[in-house]
Amino acid sequence: MTAAAETRATAAADVVRAEGINKWFHRGHAHELHVLRDVDLRVARGEVLVVIGPSGSGKSTLLRCLNFLAPPDTGSVTFLGETLSRESVPRFSVGARLDYERRLRHFRTQIGMVFQHFNLFPHMCVLDNVAAAPVRVLGLPKREARERALAELERVGMAGKARAYPSQLSGGQKQRVAIARALAMRPQLMLFDEATSALDPELIGGVLDEIRKLADAGMTMIVVTHEMGFAREVGDRLVFMDEGRIVEEGPAREVLAAPRSGRTQEFLRAIL
Amino acid sequence: MSALAPGLLGYTFRWSIVPEVMGELAHGVRITLELSGLSVVFALALGLLVALARGSRLAPLRIAAYVYIQLFRALSLYIYVLWIYFGIAAAVGVNLSPLEAGVIALTFLNSAYMAEIYRSALGAVDRGQHEAAFSLGFSRPRAFATVILPQAIRVAVPSLVNQFVDIVKDSSIVAIVGTSDLMGVTTQLVGYYRAPFELYTVLAGFYLSIVLLISAAAAVLERRLQRHLR
Repeated sequence: MTAAAETRATAAADVVRAEGINKWFHRGHAHELHVLRDVDLRVARGEVLVVIGPSGSGKSTLLRCLNFLAPPDTGSVTFLGETLSRESVPRFSVGARLDYERRLRHFRTQIGMVFQHFNLFPHMCVLDNVAAAPVRVLGLPKREARERALAELERVGMAGKARAYPSQLSGGQKQRVAIARALAMRPQLMLFDEATSALDPELIGGVLDEIRKLADAGMTMIVVTHEMGFAREVGDRLVFMDEGRIVEEGPAREVLAAPRSGRTQEFLRAIL
Repeated sequence: MSALAPGLLGYTFRWSIVPEVMGELAHGVRITLELSGLSVVFALALGLLVALARGSRLAPLRIAAYVYIQLFRALSLYIYVLWIYFGIAAAVGVNLSPLEAGVIALTFLNSAYMAEIYRSALGAVDRGQHEAAFSLGFSRPRAFATVILPQAIRVAVPSLVNQFVDIVKDSSIVAIVGTSDLMGVTTQLVGYYRAPFELYTVLAGFYLSIVLLISAAAAVLERRLQRHLR
């Protein structure tokens, strides 16, 4: 295989590839914050990438850049061979902006995201939480969407609560519903943003089990977490971030067992 | 002493006229409900549009909405009714009926207040709700209609109901341009029967009943809407 063909083959196997990502908060203001600095990231199909690092290191922002909830200021994201970047959108062309937003929504329908604080829709029952996007975004008939929603709830063991409202659920149950909601869109990539950080200790295990089951089923995932045991066990590859940069990257077990960077060593020592 | 007596003590209560005028008062109630009902529906819709403009990403829209809100909150309904009914008619030659002028004045004035109510209610919806909707691929309008607005409405209902009550009460001011609403009818009847105490008391009773009915209906609505929220 030639070098170029090899590059193409790996590129095709990548579900998502981020290149040259920079992100600032309050850009151009006195309190400007450079939260992501020249970050490159690749995730292959079926791979579980774990992202760890101290708070404020840019982990969550990186996830948000991948689905453009926080659009990167520079750089591009290639998802399933399609590249999106905000830089390339002419600022004053309405047509170009609409096209960008349409492509962006297409991205998002295939990228599931699970949030630290669940963000379930409080005015909808569990079933409608899961069925809403399949109906309103994918245009599925209501019946079909509900069947699909129920199947996803079944998978996370929440089918029995289909008619309950989020306020009636425990944190762990809410998060499992949130996972079902993301899965109902049949995503090609799942992003977990500290999915267990807001949970009571005894509820963490159940949610981690769901994520583990997904990994076993071959789902491509990026998992931001503080659960090092989980990272070692489920992560294929691990990225350590600090101050907006990727400091160290490698097979999860290796990095956790024998970190090379001094900063990583320091971080792992502090939390373990 | 004797000169004062007829004024103070010579007032004879004539409650017996009340049943006689019930038909006319009932008609007045209908007009008052029509006037405030139409105004509240239009103001709810217009207020939402103004609130959306106020929160728009386009600066000119934001500024226009700000000016609109400040303008209509600055002056009293009394002035607007006169300006619309007499002023506009004289300047542009558009002849509005008193009822139309009343609905327009009440709508504009209250939509400005409602825009502010909507704005704070929309702001009260958690940022995570937007993110969750967007992450699922919702477009802005769809996220707004499906996720954000239903939650904001629940927050806004108590204040919107207060505004509705204010509209009912303020609708009495519109009578100055000659509407035959509850206030207008009563004023005419007072002139005819010379029984101000009885008639204004009945009038107050009617307004009070309408307001209490609205509050009761609102309480039921609020309970239904809040049922599943924390």
